[in-house]
Amino acid sequence: MNLTESIKSAFRNLLANKMRSFLAMLGIIIGIGSVIMITSVGAGSQSAITADFDKLGVGMLTIQMKNPNKAKTRDFLTLDDTELIRKHPEVENVCPYFQGWGASVKLKNPKEEKESLINGINEDFRFLSSQELLYGRHIIESDGKTKSKVVIIDEVLAQKVFARKDVVGETIAVTLWRGTYDFTIIGVSKNANAALESMMGDQMPSMLYAPIETVNDMYRYDYVDYFYVTTKDASSADQTALELTKMLETKHRNEDAYFVKNAAQDLEMVNNILGIITGFISFVAGISLLVGGVGVMNIMLVTVTERTREIGIRKSLGAKNKDIRQQFLIEAVILTIIGGVIGITLGFLGGIGIGSAMKITPKISSLSIIVTVGVSTIIGIIAGVYPANKAAKLDPIEALRYE
Amino acid sequence: MIKIEALHKTYKNGKIEVAALKNISLKVIPKEFVAIMGASGSGKSTLMNILGCLDRSTSGKYYLDKVDISSLEDNDLAAIRNIKIGFVFQAFNLLPKLTALENVELPMIYAGAKHKERKEKAMLALERVGLADRIDHRPNELSGGQKQRVAIARALVNSPSILLADEPTGNLDSKSSKEIMGIFQKLNEEGVTIVMVTHEMDVAEHTKRIVTFKDGEIISDKAVLTTIKAGGNEL
Repeated sequence: MNLTESIKSAFRNLLANKMRSFLAMLGIIIGIGSVIMITSVGAGSQSAITADFDKLGVGMLTIQMKNPNKAKTRDFLTLDDTELIRKHPEVENVCPYFQGWGASVKLKNPKEEKESLINGINEDFRFLSSQELLYGRHIIESDGKTKSKVVIIDEVLAQKVFARKDVVGETIAVTLWRGTYDFTIIGVSKNANAALESMMGDQMPSMLYAPIETVNDMYRYDYVDYFYVTTKDASSADQTALELTKMLETKHRNEDAYFVKNAAQDLEMVNNILGIITGFISFVAGISLLVGGVGVMNIMLVTVTERTREIGIRKSLGAKNKDIRQQFLIEAVILTIIGGVIGITLGFLGGIGIGSAMKITPKISSLSIIVTVGVSTIIGIIAGVYPANKAAKLDPIEALRYE
Repeated sequence: MIKIEALHKTYKNGKIEVAALKNISLKVIPKEFVAIMGASGSGKSTLMNILGCLDRSTSGKYYLDKVDISSLEDNDLAAIRNIKIGFVFQAFNLLPKLTALENVELPMIYAGAKHKERKEKAMLALERVGLADRIDHRPNELSGGQKQRVAIARALVNSPSILLADEPTGNLDSKSSKEIMGIFQKLNEEGVTIVMVTHEMDVAEHTKRIVTFKDGEIISDKAVLTTIKAGGNEL
């Protein structure tokens, strides 16, 4: 008996007992469905998190003081260090960053006010952040050298203060702790936190970006909170971080004073945790696959008993043991494969459901489809072998007598 | 065609051994039509099962078309059943989910015939038993006589060397019995060798030779002097 005939015959028998076939595959459907649902949501969240980290700039090193409270004045990072860091051959971009403390910055023009934070940056910031400009330009080197009072604001602030977005060239008054200064707007950025900001409303301070020299000058402060550094080769970032720390320690004549954070490590850690959770839940879901396999085996055993006479008839007509074995094995495998395919479909739909609640796009890889179809085939074979062998070994005379 | 020499068959029932066949020797030549008679338990069904390669003898030789069947493996026996033997059972033994045509196709599926060839040959076989108009009916849509005709068509479809019929009229009324016997007679006239088990004398009289069993032994082997014609009107 060739394969096509076995498959045809298997479908005929499965369709003849639709309800039973469905119940037999239910365990497989639930098992495969939950594995697919969980892995697709897991993979979706991983890529969503990765994308978030990409926005922050993966491979980005953050250099800061280890213990600011115990630091001596000479330990403080300064603007001069920018050039030192830039000298390292692996360094691509370096941006000193200082956030005006005293935190609140008030805007007085034309009439609206909004809590804001002023951040001092340099020309490399554009390469280090995901900041996207809607209008105007980025901060350039000469802005810092001349300590120009130029500023980049975001679209939310622009809308709030000017009731429009294209406000390049306008002037805003920024009130700091030491006085009020007029800044010329040179750029309007797209608000990356639009969702968050719309929820928090006015509570969410706006971010102003100005040349760090200008901001330092206004605060009469010469130090830098952090250096953001990107390296040419992300894989050697840890080594570069170590060397940069050494260079800074030599310059500042101290030891163990600086701390470098590698954003890639955070991403890796988050993804690892997510992977472990996904793996564990999938494992639990996989147990239901095992139960499903037992269900299929059980039904196949019942089927063989029920069809004893048919087996006898087929044998009397010339079916070899292997023909009978093949017929029942294929029936079991088709049962589990169909269950697997239904499971994949439902699992993916479930993933989309959960994903839309979690605001992520579930990801289903062709690998996971191949693996789950493979697994259901194997379950079918394992569940089918015993009943099929039992059928194949039936004595034709006994089987023909079976009522 | 069929040659049996000193055939024994013993069943073990717990510790008791029961001899179902004792030293049977029998020859069936091509184009014969033999009835095997005997009371139940006389060993005639055991002989049928051995002739049909469904069972093995305990000792003795069985040659079918000069092939020594007693020495064959299970798989070879299955192939012999498939190609050389056509079975007709008392209980018809059709598969209920298949149509008449599909039932007739079954032996050819195991013979590895192609789809088209199967359809054609199955059609011819059904025509031969006068059921060309019932090919798409399932067994439960057919009368007893019609079911047995499908079974005969199925037994014939691989052009076997011998047709074995085990009480083929046992489940049929007398009218259908006559029809079926008519078909057997016609097939025999066309050259098909038939061995039939029956316990009804009036059925046996449709054949050409009657072999009678009692307690596992042949007690008589006689030619039928005046074979009754079933009068198979439409045949």
